[in-house]
Amino acid sequence: MEIIKNPNYDFLGKAKYFIALSVFFILSGIAVMALRGIAYGVEFSGGTQLILRFQSTPEVDRIRSAVDAQGGGAVIQTYGDVKANKVLVRIAKEAPENDLDAPARAIRDALAKNYGQNPVLESSSEIVGPIVGAELRQKAVYLTVLGLLFQLIYIAARFKGGAWGVAAAVAGLHDILICLGFLTFFRYEITLNVIAALLTLVGYSVNDTIVVFDRVRENLAIRRKDALPKILNDSMNQTLTRTLISNGTTFLSVLGLFLFGGEVLRGFGFTMVIGILVGTYSTLFIAVPFVDWWYGRTGGYAPAAAPIAKAQGRAKATA
Amino acid sequence: MPPALQNPITLWLLLTAALAGIVYAFMRPELRWKAIVYGSFLLACGVAIWPPYDRGDQPGKIHLGLDLRGGIHLVLQVVVEDALNATVDDAVNTARDQAARKGIQVASVSRSSPTRLSVEGVEPARVKDMRDLLQDFFRANWEVRDAGEGRLTVQMTDLYQRQLKDQTVQEAIRTLERRVNALGVAEPVIAATGSRGDQILVQLPGVTDVEQAKRMIKTTAQLSLKLVENSAATQETLLQGVGGKLPDNMDLLQGPSDTPGQPTYYLVRKESMITGRDLKSARVGVDESNRPQINFALNALATDKFSRETGRNIGRQLAIVLDGTVYSAPVIQSKLGSDNRITSTRFTTQEADELAKILKAGALPATLRYLQQLTVGASLGRDSIRDGVMAAGAGMAFIVIFMLVYYRLSGLNAVVALAANLLILLGAMAYANATLTLPGIAGVILTIGVGVDTNVLVFERIREELRNGKTVRLAVQNGFERVWITILDTHATALIAAAFLFQFGTGPIKGFAVTLVIGLVANVFASYFVSKFIFEWVLGGRHFESLSI
Repeated sequence: MEIIKNPNYDFLGKAKYFIALSVFFILSGIAVMALRGIAYGVEFSGGTQLILRFQSTPEVDRIRSAVDAQGGGAVIQTYGDVKANKVLVRIAKEAPENDLDAPARAIRDALAKNYGQNPVLESSSEIVGPIVGAELRQKAVYLTVLGLLFQLIYIAARFKGGAWGVAAAVAGLHDILICLGFLTFFRYEITLNVIAALLTLVGYSVNDTIVVFDRVRENLAIRRKDALPKILNDSMNQTLTRTLISNGTTFLSVLGLFLFGGEVLRGFGFTMVIGILVGTYSTLFIAVPFVDWWYGRTGGYAPAAAPIAKAQGRAKATA
Repeated sequence: MPPALQNPITLWLLLTAALAGIVYAFMRPELRWKAIVYGSFLLACGVAIWPPYDRGDQPGKIHLGLDLRGGIHLVLQVVVEDALNATVDDAVNTARDQAARKGIQVASVSRSSPTRLSVEGVEPARVKDMRDLLQDFFRANWEVRDAGEGRLTVQMTDLYQRQLKDQTVQEAIRTLERRVNALGVAEPVIAATGSRGDQILVQLPGVTDVEQAKRMIKTTAQLSLKLVENSAATQETLLQGVGGKLPDNMDLLQGPSDTPGQPTYYLVRKESMITGRDLKSARVGVDESNRPQINFALNALATDKFSRETGRNIGRQLAIVLDGTVYSAPVIQSKLGSDNRITSTRFTTQEADELAKILKAGALPATLRYLQQLTVGASLGRDSIRDGVMAAGAGMAFIVIFMLVYYRLSGLNAVVALAANLLILLGAMAYANATLTLPGIAGVILTIGVGVDTNVLVFERIREELRNGKTVRLAVQNGFERVWITILDTHATALIAAAFLFQFGTGPIKGFAVTLVIGLVANVFASYFVSKFIFEWVLGGRHFESLSI
């Protein structure tokens, strides 16, 4: 069984349309983020988040009127399966450092007093002081950038050319920006889990890019007469089946995560679903065209064939 | 199971021996060695996991993070300044005592910052003597400076400040460990965290009484017994008695009186007769009228000092001070020995019980501040497990079906590799005592995805080689060989990404990073080496015209 027989698409030729599409997505993403602002989860913004399990079906309006007496601006929504009787309550008000619990206690007390007929059976809480939130936000950006930088250096070293590393990093950055745009557009919060997903998908996207680059490296060593653009395009076609199958299966498993993984993993699943799609796309239409553009601009390409030549030699010797 | 097999190492050795027997009986000589090494490694993983979850009286080997089993996660900041202040205060006393002993007149000795003390108004003729004296006593770790006009400062060195900070955090961690043990929490995590190293992470899985746990953790529990100079209902009355200003060697503390809601103020000596460090034990008892009290015993050295001092001060009040509040101030009736008690009208039995445990665990060297608190209810954790397992199961079922349909018998090879991958992943996590968190389950799902990618890469390459007219054996060999570099590079970059994730250092995300890292390594072994071995085993020695791929 084969998905596509002998694929031969002109990826590079169509790249400019796709780059335009990417620019459109990134710019609209930035516009959405600028207009709405990025919604941070409680671990980054600081504040108090409670997940309350009630005895019977909770009435969000009654809960809101009970909680709003403690100062407005609370987010109140049904959490997870309706049958689970769970409600998420979040207040942005900063918890005082010497008594982090105070806002959470106030909410629980207010509910017990004004909505006593439906008592809270169990509660989970997440309370983040202002220092931690800011520190974590900083750390997230810092780690993402450093992670990309180190991957860039690794690839540049392995492929003996900065362009390959920069191409993979640009594609990774492209994926993060588009994902952030989607997350904001669909009103997902940037939680720790989402950051983890973003960092992972950078790894995944770079991973996907390397598979193609690796094929390019191999082809460059064998087909010394062909021009770089042709080799780039052929390499993408040669690895296309693999790209579709691998990313397809991973896509479906993270789709399972998004659909069945429960409320806590919803944002994570969403980011991965978008991320795998964008990561696959960015290999074909961002990373490889970038290499083409770079060497077309600087003129000429010195093939970095050493590692693969050795492997070829080994293969011949054992054959 | 017979007792000998209860020991995992024995069990593993026996299983490996059995495997070796089977391999020798049925496998071709050139494959035996690999089969035994790979097989016994997988067996070790299997033994490490068993039993995966709590089963009868055997605890499960897969540790669930507190986001899955419920519990408390706290990040505390150690107020290191407290410890610095205390150290400088000690130094202030030393400087004052030494000056007095040498007969040097000084106007005052005081702490001017958390890391510095200053001596003011030294008599002009003796400035040099005082300076030498200070230098003598504060040789290491301190720098003595002459600020002119009879003023000397002693500054803590940066190195010493860092040492003190580390010491304080370590001591706080040890104290918290003792207290948490008194709470009876299984598998707690108490560790330094944060970029500046002054934060402590406390994870108490399975704990549901948050309030009690927090009280137990936060109480500084600095106990001291101090002589009372005077007591009154208002601060003003007390201050009038000493000329309106609090003397250097005195403290003004608050405590309960017989009328509820009406505090009593105590003027006490700054110097403690005994402190929490002198305690040998502390436990709850009851007094004659059945009210809870805390019985405590002193160690030998402190007992000597205590009986000497109490003998000298019969008839005076002794304040029992905990964290800056007077609990009670009984009158010393007679010379006291090792065994004593604390009573207070304020105690409930639970309070007394907690206090005894805290006193036994020792005082915290500094105040703790809460930075972050996460509590997860048990039912939320159970829901998360169900959802996570469901998602992982759905993803895996899909991949298995796809691989079998698309790659047929070779797909079966990939499925075996996938199973080996999971076995290694879980075995390594069980062995390393790593915890499985909800994002960790997501990590397992991703690992499956990446694992399949390795197989797909190899299989597609084999198909390509076959299309180019290579024989089955050569196609398989070339397929694996050519893909090796790709796998190396993709896994290396993925490891880089995972390493940065690990740096996040917060509970669940760390669990995710750990799962990813182990998964990546397991993947190379399972989807590459094990899968290659299966091909060699099935194909080797015979001639095949075609391959089911």
